[in-house]
Parts: sequence; structure tokens; C-alpha cells
Amino acid sequence: MASTSPALPQPALSQPRRTIDPQYAVFLVVLGIVGLFVLYPVLVILVDSFVVGPIGGARNWGLDGWRAAFTDPTMLSAVRNTAKVLVANETISLPSAVLLAWLLARTDLPLRGTFEFAFWITFFLPSLSVTLGWIVLLGPQNGLLNQIALALIGKEPFDIYSFWGIVWAHISSSSLSIKVMLLTPLFRNLDAAFEEAARCSGAGRWMTLTRIVIPAVAPGILTVLVLSLIRAMQTFEIEMVLGPPFNFWVFGTKIYVLVAQVPPEFASATALAVIGFIIITPLIALHRWLATRTDYTSITGRERSQPTPLGRWRWPIFCLVALLTLTITVLPVTFLVTASFMKLFGFFNIASPWTTSHWGSVLNDDFFTHSLMNTLIVAAGTALGAIVLCSLAAYFTVRSRYLGRNLLDFLSWLPFAIPGILLGVGLLYVFLGNPVLKLLYGSVALMMLAMVIAGMTLGTQILKTTILQLGAALEEAARTCGASWWYGFRHIILPILMPTLVLVGVINFIAASRDIANIALLSSNTSKTLSLLQLDYMVDGRWEDAAVVSVVVMLVTTGAAFLARLCGIRLGVRG
Amino acid sequence: MAQAFVQLERLNKSYGPVSAVTDLSLEIAKGESLTLLGPSGCGKTTTLRMVAGLEKPDAGAIRFDGKPVVSIADGINLPPEKRNIGMVFQSYAIWPHMTVAQNVAFPLKVRRVDAATIRERVRAALTMIGLGGLEDRPATRLSGGQQQRVALARALIHEPALLLLDEPLSNLDVKLREQMRVELKLLQARLGLTLIYVTHDQSEALSLSDRIAVLNRGHIEQIGAPRVLYEQPATPFVRDFLGKSVTLPGRVKSLAAGRAAVALAADGNAVIECAVPPGLDLAADREVEISLRPEAIHLANGQAGALHGIVEAVLYQGERSECEVKIGASALCVYLPAGSDAAPGDKIALAIEPNAARLWAKSSGVA
Repeated sequence: MASTSPALPQPALSQPRRTIDPQYAVFLVVLGIVGLFVLYPVLVILVDSFVVGPIGGARNWGLDGWRAAFTDPTMLSAVRNTAKVLVANETISLPSAVLLAWLLARTDLPLRGTFEFAFWITFFLPSLSVTLGWIVLLGPQNGLLNQIALALIGKEPFDIYSFWGIVWAHISSSSLSIKVMLLTPLFRNLDAAFEEAARCSGAGRWMTLTRIVIPAVAPGILTVLVLSLIRAMQTFEIEMVLGPPFNFWVFGTKIYVLVAQVPPEFASATALAVIGFIIITPLIALHRWLATRTDYTSITGRERSQPTPLGRWRWPIFCLVALLTLTITVLPVTFLVTASFMKLFGFFNIASPWTTSHWGSVLNDDFFTHSLMNTLIVAAGTALGAIVLCSLAAYFTVRSRYLGRNLLDFLSWLPFAIPGILLGVGLLYVFLGNPVLKLLYGSVALMMLAMVIAGMTLGTQILKTTILQLGAALEEAARTCGASWWYGFRHIILPILMPTLVLVGVINFIAASRDIANIALLSSNTSKTLSLLQLDYMVDGRWEDAAVVSVVVMLVTTGAAFLARLCGIRLGVRG
Repeated sequence: MAQAFVQLERLNKSYGPVSAVTDLSLEIAKGESLTLLGPSGCGKTTTLRMVAGLEKPDAGAIRFDGKPVVSIADGINLPPEKRNIGMVFQSYAIWPHMTVAQNVAFPLKVRRVDAATIRERVRAALTMIGLGGLEDRPATRLSGGQQQRVALARALIHEPALLLLDEPLSNLDVKLREQMRVELKLLQARLGLTLIYVTHDQSEALSLSDRIAVLNRGHIEQIGAPRVLYEQPATPFVRDFLGKSVTLPGRVKSLAAGRAAVALAADGNAVIECAVPPGLDLAADREVEISLRPEAIHLANGQAGALHGIVEAVLYQGERSECEVKIGASALCVYLPAGSDAAPGDKIALAIEPNAARLWAKSSGVA
């Protein structure tokens, strides 16, 4: 700056050559990858719904699949059951989550930080593990709570293998916790002046909450609800374990059975999936519309306001929240761990029920060690792949003005609407139909790819929000300082996004390490992961071994969540 | 004007059906400080961003030192990083993941300057802007004024040929804004910077620039030295946007030697003489308007031709009082000395400085 300093190398203002914009090249590559691995499987599914006949055999065009989808009563009831579980689940979990999020974000509730952390951990508990824990507690006949009730009141009030059992497993495993996680930052970032103005106008605490605060975050609440509706088509594991004993099928499990049975009914399964798309597509449009309407200016991030005092309700509410938190975290986890040390899964009333033999046999099994390695490799690869793909997709959707960015945005939504098992089928077609990609069949790489695609929606959405809030000036400043787009992206955008990127990585790591639906059809014996091993054990009736593996999966996922939290990562908007 | 250093040639930019900039051309000399001034939505920021390369014009060209950085007709559009500019953003855009020194050093790092030189120049730059010793402070822990200085240092450290400032002072409080205004002026003089400054604050524009271009609805209303714009506005828009002015309807009483005597509609006894601007076609008895700056109106001490009115409101400002005076159907703003004891309801007589009034055609349409 001083005039005595040596001259700097300045970029010459020479006549530029017409070269291809590197940013545009990267955009095309991202669009191409997403198109190939998202759109193509979907098209395969769509086309296949009109094809009759076994794979490898004579295949003809036909409407049998569609006919079955509309006439087979079990298919119709599967769709109906999906809706019923959804309504019951949301009716309970959404209002509870709104209230909890407000308590955690805006009041002087004791230990609110700890509770928020508990919900965070709950979200990352594998739902299959939680469900196993609940079976130990609420199972008919042997369920511990049932036995206690039998001793006290002379009857068994609970049955986990029921409609309400499934609803409860949903609420306690992730339905409540994800809403609390998404809504708490929303309440936290709400301008405190809204509340203060209401109180100054003479409104009490309750009136301020119901008339001002909740309406102010209503668009956000609605967005979370629509997200849950879209997601409902995907539910799989809980219904797969709890549903069949009382012949209860939902969308996801019905498709799974159609595909997994011998011979598989691909036409019906794909027709059902297409119906799912048709239901979900308007919901995605609705969600996008809601998201673009959200007025970020009303959410200022001026958060250092006085928390609302709960007054004499403070401790009663604390007790209620503490009880709920313990119920959905400590209780199922404790009993899952307990069950892994039992001679017979869930049988507390036999003589000397405890043993460590299952742990010994499982841990010494080479198959287990191999599966653990596979899990870690697939999870780590998925995390890395998701970070790269999601950050680029989110960036281009928000910042670029290229033709096709809307297509990219839409494509990033599609995996959310595809039941995992069908994404697996679709990718299987793509890979088996291509001589080069075929070499990857059965490898962990293919499973990583499936998981990256499956997790693309959530990761891209989270990053889009963050990039939107960053504003364009930060990177424009880098350009005017002389940095190329790619240099600015690496040195400015990526480091600023780092906490969010780590979060996306962790979410995908955890999702991959506990996933079943997406990779069940893509794995081979050598590429099996722990969660698939766990499912195998359950199918074989080896519940005790399944419990052991389940505890290990849980340790992997919660361990990753803990590590992320130690690094100071939060879901949603940074304060 | 000296050889133009920056040339904007018939720039056009629209967003969908909305035209932001229409056929805008202007030239800036080396070492000149030019302000783009106008209300929000007038196209000033769009113009600045086109100069920076952050927006691509739909048509037109921009030349630095005779060489095109963008020329739609020739298919040339240099990205911002190839234009060798410095820019200060309204939000400062201080990167939150870097320290003060890292922020300022970035342009040098991009240009692969060696570490020792970078260290030395960053230290010199931070000392110059009064932030010496804050090198390792995280950028997020700076006050607004400090962030503004860091943004300025970052925009200047690579000695750009052209400095662009997008409302750089609008996020500062009044005291700091005035202080930074002085510092910017000193810095510009010391470094001989060529700069384009965007603002909607007219006093900032008047005090900081060699020339001002007043923009309205995507085109330049008038361009010239601050004093020329203030004293001889070419259009009613410029007149009303720059400083305070009052307009009074009147009627031409007589014409002689390029001067007109105008009888005010509000007070028929008051006759004001003013020069007829070139191009204004006048005849006796024609309805016209005259405009006055408040500082050209004084309390009358019994001289003839004074305006008589009634004080409506007095706004005490410390060094003076702003006084709203009603004359017939018109209202005037008058500055009274601090010691004045005028109160609402008082009758007041006002005199107008000779040659202070400007003549306009009736109804603020065309000048």
C-alpha cells in the first residue's frame, strides 16, 4: 500500500481468450452424476412398472403391476396404514416438538442444553436398536413392563406388536427428536423484540407464545411438517420388525416384500413406487415453495435476549421433560444393552438369566470383524462423498444462474421420495446394465454411492440454508481481491461452511452405518455391513446376537454424534 | 478532463422485465473520485457491480485504460479477479473464519506474494488504518468501524488500479461515519486513488467526490462537480435530491436581457429576479416555478419586496433552527440563527439573496 513497496505481480488486462468457464464445467459434472444416479434409476422404476415377467426371463409390456397396485387389497391397505401411522405420529410428535423446542430455545428451563444434546443423541440412535430395546420392555408376555404390570394390576397392558406400538417406536426413535432439532434453532433465531413487544403490549407468557412466537415461526413449523410427510413413505425398519407379527404392512415394507419374495414382483413393486412419487411430488413442490417464502429478514439472529422465565412451572416442567428425555434415550438403550447379556432375549424370569457368551462369540467371529470394517469404510466414504456432492449441488442451486440449476435442485429432492429398497433396485439395474459399472457390483463402492444418493436431499437442504444465509458478498469480495471462482470456493466458502460440512458428513456417516433399506440388495457376502448382519441374525431368530451387533452399531453412530458435538457442531443455523 | 481511465459505454442491464440500467455512459479520469448518487433502485449498485465484473451487462462495454474488460459486442467479459480492482462491500464481507491479518493478506496470497512481504505489507496497511497490533484478532470480534477499516485495507493492499466502494459508510453510526468520511478523503488524496463510490447519502457524495453522477431510474440525470450540481441542478430531480430546496409557483411579470422578474403566487407583492436558464422558452405572464435553497433565505429587516409569512413549526438543531414558514398556500423552509426566538404563530418577513433563485418551467415535469 505504501508507495515505496515493491511492485506486485498484477494480472495483465490482456485480451481474454474465450475459454470454457471452469465453474460451468464443474456444474455440468455435478448435474451429470446426479442425473445418472438419480434420474436414471427413477426412469428404470417408471418403465419397469409397465413390464411383466421375471428378470432374465421373457419380459413383455403389460399393466399387471398397475392392476395389482389398484386392486390388490393388501396394497391398498399398505398405503392406508402408512397414512394412519403418519397421522397418529404427527398429531402427537409435532405439537410436542414445538413446545419442547420453545422450552429449549426461549425459556429458563434448567439443563436445557443437556436436554438438547439428549435429543441430538436420540436422533442418531439406530431405530432398529431402539425398537429392540422397546421389545424387551413392552413385548407381550415377556416384556419387563408387562411383567411388572402383571404383578401389580394383574394384566398386561402393553403390546409393542401393535399399531400404537409402531407409532410409539417412531415417536421415540427419531420422529420427535428430529423435529426438536430442526425447530429449536428456529425459535432461537427469532428476533427477541417480537416477544418483548408482545409482553410490553400486555400479553402474558402463554399468549405471547401462542399468538406471537408460534405464528412467527409457523412457516418453519409447516416446512418441518411437510418434510415429515414426504419422509413417511420411507419408513421401513420399525414396520419390518413390528408389523409382520400382526400382519401390518406399510408402503415401504410392502415394496420390500414384493421385491424380496421369490419370485419377485417387480411390476407391482415399481407401480406402487410410482404411486408414491405421484403422492410425494406435490409435497416436494409445496416444501420448496414454503422454503423460498421463508422471510429470512424476520429471523435476525439477535439471540442474546433474556430467556422467558417459567416461574413456578419451571420445576414441574423440568421434571416432565426430564422424564420424557430419559424415556426415549436411557430406557430403550439400557434394555437393549441388558438384553445383549441375556441367555434368552427378553426372558428375565428364568434362573440365572445373564451371560457374556453372546458377546464373546460375536466379537470373535471373523464375519463380525469384517462387517465392522465394511461399516466403517462405507460410512466414511459416504460421509466424504456426501460432503463433496451436497456442497457443490447446494452451491450451484443457490448461487449460479445456469440453465439447469432448477433441474439440479429438483433432482436433489428425488432421492428423498424414493423408498430405499427401490433406489437399491434402480441402481442395481444401472450397474448391471453397464459393462464398466458392473465391475463395482457387490463392492463397498456401490453401497457408498447408494448412500450418498440417498442422503443427498437432507445434506443439500442443510447446506442450501447455510449458503443462503451467508450471502453472496463474502465470495464476491474474494473475486474482487483477485481470486478465481475455484480459489474462492476452496479458501472462503468451504472453510466458512466447514461446521455445516462436518455436520453433513456426520449425518451421512451415521445414516450409512445404520442403513438397511438402501444397501440390502447391493451388498454381497463380503461387503455386508453390521446393520445387515444384525438383520440377518434377527431373521435367523438369533435375537441375542442381534442385540450384541445392535449395541455395536449404536456405539458407532452415537460415538460419531458425540465426536461431532465435541467439535461444536449443531444442526441448523449457527448462532 | 484528462485521458479517461475508466469508460462505461452504453451499458444496459435488466432483470426480467425490470430495466435497472439504460444506455449509461460515463468516463472517469485517473486519480478521480466519482460518486454514483441516487435513491435506492436507481441502478447505481448495478452499475458498480458491472464495473467490478459481478454482473454482466446485457449490452455495452467497459474499458479500463482503453482495454475492454467487458464488451458484449465483442464477446469479452473478464471475471472480477482479472480486473485488478479493490472493492469495499456494504456489509464489509469480512470473512469470519479468518483473522484480521488473514483477511487483509488475502489479495496478496492470491497473487502468490512471498510470506515475508505479505507480513510486512499487512503490518504497514493495518498501521495506516489505525488497527496496528490487531493482526491476530478473529475478524468476528471487530466493531463495525473496525470491520470497515479492515475491508478498506483488504481492498487496497494489492494496489488496485481502481477502488470501488458500495455504500461503505451506511452501516456506521453518525459520528463514525463523519470520521471515516474524513479518513477516506485523506487516503484518496494521499494514494492518488481512482475510485467509484456508490451512495444514497447526498452529504457523503458532496463532501467526498470530485464529480457526482446523479442516477435516476437507470440513467444519469446530471454529472458534474458537487458544487455545480448543487448550485445549478439541471433537472428538478437533481434539485430535489441534492440538499434541501423549496419551490414556489409564480408568474413572469417582465423579461429583460436574459433575466425575468417573477411575481410569487403566494404573495403577489413579492417579486423575485432570476436568470432565465438557456433553453427555457418564456413569455410574459407565463406560469413558472422558482426554487430556492433554505440558506439563501434570510430574515428581512424592513426592506421592500420581502415575503410575509407565518411561522408554523420550529425545529431546534443546535447550531441553528429550521423553521417552517407558511406563505399563502406555499410552505418554505428557512434556517434561522441559533439565537432566534421565533415561535409558531409569529409573523415573519423574509428576504431572498439576489441571484439565489432558479427559474423552472411550471409543474416539475421538464426543466
